Amino acid sequence: MTVELVLGLTQALALTMSVAFVSYVCVIVVPFLRHRPRPDGDPAAFRWHFLVPCLDEEAVIGDTVRYLRREFPQADVWVVDDDSFDGTVAEVTRLRDDRVHLVRRRLPAARRGKGDALNAGYRALLASLDDFADPDLVVVAVVDADGRPAANCLAACAAEHLFGDPAVGAVQIDVRMGNRDAGGSWFGRALVRMQDLEFRTAIAAIQLSRRYSGTISMGGNGQFTRLTALMTVDDGDSGAPWRGSLLEDFELGVHLLTAGWRTAFTVDTHVDQEALPHLRRFLAQRTRWGQGTMQCARYLRRIWSSRHISTLGAAEMLYYLAQPWLQLLGTLVYPVPFVLLAVRASHEPEVVWGWLTGGAWILFVLYGTFGLLPFLIWGPIYRRRCEHRSGVLRGLGYGVLYALYILSFYLTSWRALCRLVRGHDGWVKTARNASTEAGPVRAP
Amino acid sequence: MTPEPLLKRWCAGVFAALAVALVLAQTWYRTAEVRLAGVLVDAVTSTGVHVAARRQTVYFGLGGDTPFGLRMTPECTSAFLLVPLLLVAALMVGLRPGVTGRVAVALLAAAVAVVVVNQLRVLTLVGLIGWLGTDRGYYWGHTLFGSMVSVFGGAAALVLFVALATRAAR
Repeated sequence: MTVELVLGLTQALALTMSVAFVSYVCVIVVPFLRHRPRPDGDPAAFRWHFLVPCLDEEAVIGDTVRYLRREFPQADVWVVDDDSFDGTVAEVTRLRDDRVHLVRRRLPAARRGKGDALNAGYRALLASLDDFADPDLVVVAVVDADGRPAANCLAACAAEHLFGDPAVGAVQIDVRMGNRDAGGSWFGRALVRMQDLEFRTAIAAIQLSRRYSGTISMGGNGQFTRLTALMTVDDGDSGAPWRGSLLEDFELGVHLLTAGWRTAFTVDTHVDQEALPHLRRFLAQRTRWGQGTMQCARYLRRIWSSRHISTLGAAEMLYYLAQPWLQLLGTLVYPVPFVLLAVRASHEPEVVWGWLTGGAWILFVLYGTFGLLPFLIWGPIYRRRCEHRSGVLRGLGYGVLYALYILSFYLTSWRALCRLVRGHDGWVKTARNASTEAGPVRAP
Repeated sequence: MTPEPLLKRWCAGVFAALAVALVLAQTWYRTAEVRLAGVLVDAVTSTGVHVAARRQTVYFGLGGDTPFGLRMTPECTSAFLLVPLLLVAALMVGLRPGVTGRVAVALLAAAVAVVVVNQLRVLTLVGLIGWLGTDRGYYWGHTLFGSMVSVFGGAAALVLFVALATRAAR
């Protein structure tokens, strides 16, 4: 294979991937900018149950449960302890509240992932319901141990176009970073800000655009599911609607969609969670998500053979599941022209310099612009829609930072692939900021 | 499996094989592309055109003071832009044989768009060289305008492919 051929192939691949991404961003920006809030519904029409999976959450669980009971007095809170080493159980027991339920799991049956813990909570909840409870009107909300759902979240989820529509099986609400204005090092603050920007703009835009493809996916926090829908996807009535991959939330969405349920997303309410201010923990979290996405490729056949998912929807999910693989391909393809140019420059520096100054520099500007713009735009959009206090320049700065932030995914995709190849799919859960500030976290 | 889905799954193999064939036979494809460019350039200019098929080069402005030759290199051909489309089409048909017809139509439309866009790029170059002269015309045509045509044309072809391949059945 000649150098010319390699260059031609890699340039065509790079152009296709970049153009596909730019087109995709154009498509998702429009519904996001056009979105207007919708009227709330009546939360009293439903029975609400919060499921809070816990593993060593002593530092945060007490405040979270108190918050949930204070803001949502009509809701039950199910804390599923996954055999914590710390004082999680004591914190919950101390609350002495009839509507706070503790589900205790013990090793060796415990610590098998978040999905297993959620299933234990689901079984306990099912067992507690009386025969007259209508599962259509029971909603199960998954909240992280440090999660803070907004006070209007039940009313927003009860809206006519969400659980007010009997075809809707699950609703994912917007996620924000509660510590976005917290102090710390400039790097930590920037990392936290980027996670807030990512969830409130790019991810929210992707989810809103999925209304058209019918493929809104579930997240790990702020995930509301109708009990009937959970019962439909319960694995052979074994009490396990959540499955075992590292992305049990995405998996649940796939099972709901292929079972014929509609999923929905709203930015009319939100859940606050803690962003990670430390690079190492951030990379570990994103590696886990990348590996989870790679694992979920096994659902492609199920998705494409489902009569409930349109071809557009299946194509959208294919594109989503291909992301880590495209990032791997990108790290191989994008540098090729630069490497070849560098090799040539080392042999014929005058020729390359003449080529660059003779006009080729404009190519770099052009492709750099097309490469960066899909990320840059989220900075000003974030400023306009989410953080009005910031100036225009700060919004642009956020955009530049976001473009740099995204580069980390090229690294995490390779790490995820290495773990996948080695068959490593066990994970130590991401430690809470409060735990790491108080001292080292014990390994399970 | 009944014969029809089996046949449709074969189409996935055909698309994938076509992608491989395009890479292997890219010289032949570039020759055909430059022949087409010769016909089109000849239609819009009046100063004489010659196609050197073996070098994948089209010469134009032969009767004028500044004849010029454009070579269709592996970097300039539309052949490799068709490869990802063919592979995605193969995947879609392999996973959902029922969409074979729609995907084939979408592929054909997108392929035509990609080929037309590449010919437009050549014509833009020819026009700019005729208007601004050899150096400036080639400079603007090859760097800025050529790239813009590639990016926007590529985007249009992709959107067309997705829109046609995923449209709901009537």
